[in-house]
Amino acid sequence: MLTTHPHLRTRRPSPTTVEYTVSTSPSPTLPLRLLQLTTSILRIIIGLTVLLLLYTKYLLSAFAPATHPIGPPETFSTATIFYILTLITHSRLGTLCTRLASITPYTLLLPTSFLLIHIILQRPHTTESLLVLRGLGIQTSTSSASYLSSATTRFIPTEKVQDFLVNEAFRGFEVRYYLVVVVEGEKEVVVVFPRLLPRRKMVETVWRGVRGCLWEKGEVGKG
Amino acid sequence: MPDHDGLMRIFWPLDLSRNNSPGIIVGWRNSGLDIFVVAILEVSDARNVENALKVGTLFRNSPHPITRIYELCGQSSIHVLGLANSPQEEVELLQIHATTRPYLRMPQISCERASTIQIIMYERPMPTRMQYISLNPISLALEDKAEIAVHAPESIDAEEEKEEMKNRAQTKHLVEKLKLHTVAKHPPSQKELALPRIVSQVNCSWELHEILHKNASLVGNRLRRSLSVSERVVESATSMRDFVIVTIWQIITLYLYPIVRRGFVIGLLCHRVAAEALLIVLEWRANPQYAALKDISATAQQVEIRLQQFCYWPMQYITLRKRKDDWESVTTSHPDYIRFYNSLWLVANDVIIGIALGSYIIDNSVWVAEFIGEILDLYSVAALRRTITWLMDWPAGLKLNNELAAFLGDLFLWVIDHWSSLVTALQPFLPHLIWFIGFSSFAGASMPIAVFSDLLSILTLHIYSFYVASARIFNWQYTILLSLFQLFRGKKHNVLRKRIDSCDYDLDQLLLGTILFTLLFFLLPTVVVFYLTFACSRMAIISLKAILDTLLACLNHFPLFALMLRIKDSRRLPGGIRFELKDTQHLTSSTASDSPAPPPTSHIYLKSVPLTFRAMFHQYFQLGQRIRKHYLSPRVLLCLATGKFVPPIHRKNLYSLQYSMLPARRARVVDMWNALTASAPTKEKKAGFESRHHNGRRFNGLNGRKH
Repeated sequence: MLTTHPHLRTRRPSPTTVEYTVSTSPSPTLPLRLLQLTTSILRIIIGLTVLLLLYTKYLLSAFAPATHPIGPPETFSTATIFYILTLITHSRLGTLCTRLASITPYTLLLPTSFLLIHIILQRPHTTESLLVLRGLGIQTSTSSASYLSSATTRFIPTEKVQDFLVNEAFRGFEVRYYLVVVVEGEKEVVVVFPRLLPRRKMVETVWRGVRGCLWEKGEVGKG
Repeated sequence: MPDHDGLMRIFWPLDLSRNNSPGIIVGWRNSGLDIFVVAILEVSDARNVENALKVGTLFRNSPHPITRIYELCGQSSIHVLGLANSPQEEVELLQIHATTRPYLRMPQISCERASTIQIIMYERPMPTRMQYISLNPISLALEDKAEIAVHAPESIDAEEEKEEMKNRAQTKHLVEKLKLHTVAKHPPSQKELALPRIVSQVNCSWELHEILHKNASLVGNRLRRSLSVSERVVESATSMRDFVIVTIWQIITLYLYPIVRRGFVIGLLCHRVAAEALLIVLEWRANPQYAALKDISATAQQVEIRLQQFCYWPMQYITLRKRKDDWESVTTSHPDYIRFYNSLWLVANDVIIGIALGSYIIDNSVWVAEFIGEILDLYSVAALRRTITWLMDWPAGLKLNNELAAFLGDLFLWVIDHWSSLVTALQPFLPHLIWFIGFSSFAGASMPIAVFSDLLSILTLHIYSFYVASARIFNWQYTILLSLFQLFRGKKHNVLRKRIDSCDYDLDQLLLGTILFTLLFFLLPTVVVFYLTFACSRMAIISLKAILDTLLACLNHFPLFALMLRIKDSRRLPGGIRFELKDTQHLTSSTASDSPAPPPTSHIYLKSVPLTFRAMFHQYFQLGQRIRKHYLSPRVLLCLATGKFVPPIHRKNLYSLQYSMLPARRARVVDMWNALTASAPTKEKKAGFESRHHNGRRFNGLNGRKH
């Protein structure tokens, strides 16, 4: 529902610059936006609940400070935060969490909460792109799996690009075609769209586009 | 110019003014249609600017010679590249017309020769804050170490090394093969080759922009009147005050400073000589194959690292001082700066933690000594004794051979008895030893850890020898069993052909062999049990030492300064560059009405990628991998299973991480003396140069006023 099959988007503002983006995120429609909004709200609620559970567990432990001041402090300071925290822990949800925290042992609570936080930080879509700039080079970029880190990019100057080709490989019980940049003087080739590995048709489109865009015409000589 | 495709590439700084006023665009021209904009000067006439650039008016009062910038950027001069916001005026064929508006985030550019345009917007790194961009990630370790680390351990882990070499040769072969697949070869165009130059142009851009802007008022037909009388009075008064200050300053620098400096240099050299003597002791080997003191003991190693650091710091500092004599945009010494302050900070940290730890240990030396004595007694003597007694008496219901178990157990118990008497003899000296450890920790927390690591190896010497002895016995029995098993099957191992041949044994041979085989086979569990116990305790000690070594590595090498920089200002730790394609839709709606439609333009942002955390801790990963490869490889497991001796990982391998901050060969005393004394005259020269420069500035100023 939230993701689709990988599809290709092309941005070509000028004939010498192309960006190919392969993404699993569907085109935004109103119901989809609503759905995304609700899932993100759900994520935030789950995350906050897990944090509250951990906090109440901490309050139950021996490390917790004795008592917090009851009355609301005058100015905004760390005391205010503690005051708000006490208010929350004394609310209905807070007491529920306290009860839950007192039942569950550490060995169960800690791994579960870390797992939950890890799950809610996962990005639903994968977006991978290839930017071709004539005269400069090729840049691959892959969005990261979680929201905590940003996309990883790799820029390869044109003079380092030895070749750009379509390769095939076994993956499980199928044959996948994938794009490869051969970099001069490096042991390993750079795979374009490494996580999505789109279908052959898309791969061919991108390959043709890159071939046409990256190098100037008329300068190709047999080597 | 061979620009077949009419692609024009323009590098445009993000912070250039976006107002409507006309100006002259100034910058580098890397090739015909490849230009790099540095500044827009708000002067009316382009010809004046061209003249000023030729004569050098625009570079007046520059702190360092401008030719250095030219050299860095790989160009011989700065050019006028075009006009901003003046579409009516004529320009040359290759020059551009730019339109900037306050509401436009990107300029709109047209050029007669260009059929397509790439505008690459870049943010100027601030050289005063040591920001810069680079194509390759900044390296936190010294480069000259990497090669040595690869070649050094050839003798130690010869097999692994051989395997690695083979793999490397294979990949090299594959890479060579891959080259044959490339059918078409593309000769690099001028634009492609210009990339490294462009990177340094980006780095120099801020300083150049500052100078150009400062001197922009000197260009052209601006009205310049001579100073009025009152202004002259003020100027001479300020110059008088300057003169007095300069005189006082010169008295201090001429008479006081050299004495202090000389004293400091002599102190440093004395320290250096003492360090050299100690280092020679630490590195002395009776035979090139033998281990030096620093290879055996962690303490010696730690002392050696500290001494090496002390030897390297003055040299490093002198190199860093030289940075001041050049433009700030020169980025070659920035990794050195990070390395220098990282090691300084780590040592300071180490000493601070060490003082806290040391004062605690000294205050509670009696209690700590008791505690350690107890642990020593409990784990290395009492627990071992109990285990051996347990093993002698059918452990876990396992029926072992009573006689052999009693023999082996008595043997080990006897040695343990001797050892425990030794330990009890040592007990009264333990508080002194603890006091010594506490005192040593004022030299840094790493010192007591290293001493403790050494102490651990000395105090568990008996376990080590038990392990070696039992492994030997087990290995003998194992090999004998193997060959007797062949005999039992009527075969034998042919050593010459390395295969199993069938063999006709005599009856008595077969009988004796079979009897021996049965005997040994039934005795095997007893030996295995003892061997397993000692092997496990040996592994426990090794892992404890590995933990201590990792702690040492953290204290000596943690990239603290780099981490802080990454959080504070990530542009000081460049990890490469990144381009971002921007949408150009809002631009088409606001095209200027009179000019023809601009050629298809793509707007691209050039950004610096900060160094990844993974790259920062790269060496730790390498270390972890090396340890894993050494101890968790199938070879080691096989060694353990057959009772062969598992060699401990060589210290050199383990510590290559710590040495990566130090040069492979330390500077000699003479070199240091030369560097320290040579740096003084350059400083004086620099001061003289500055004063001359000062005069020159005045002179220039007067000149400027005259015409």
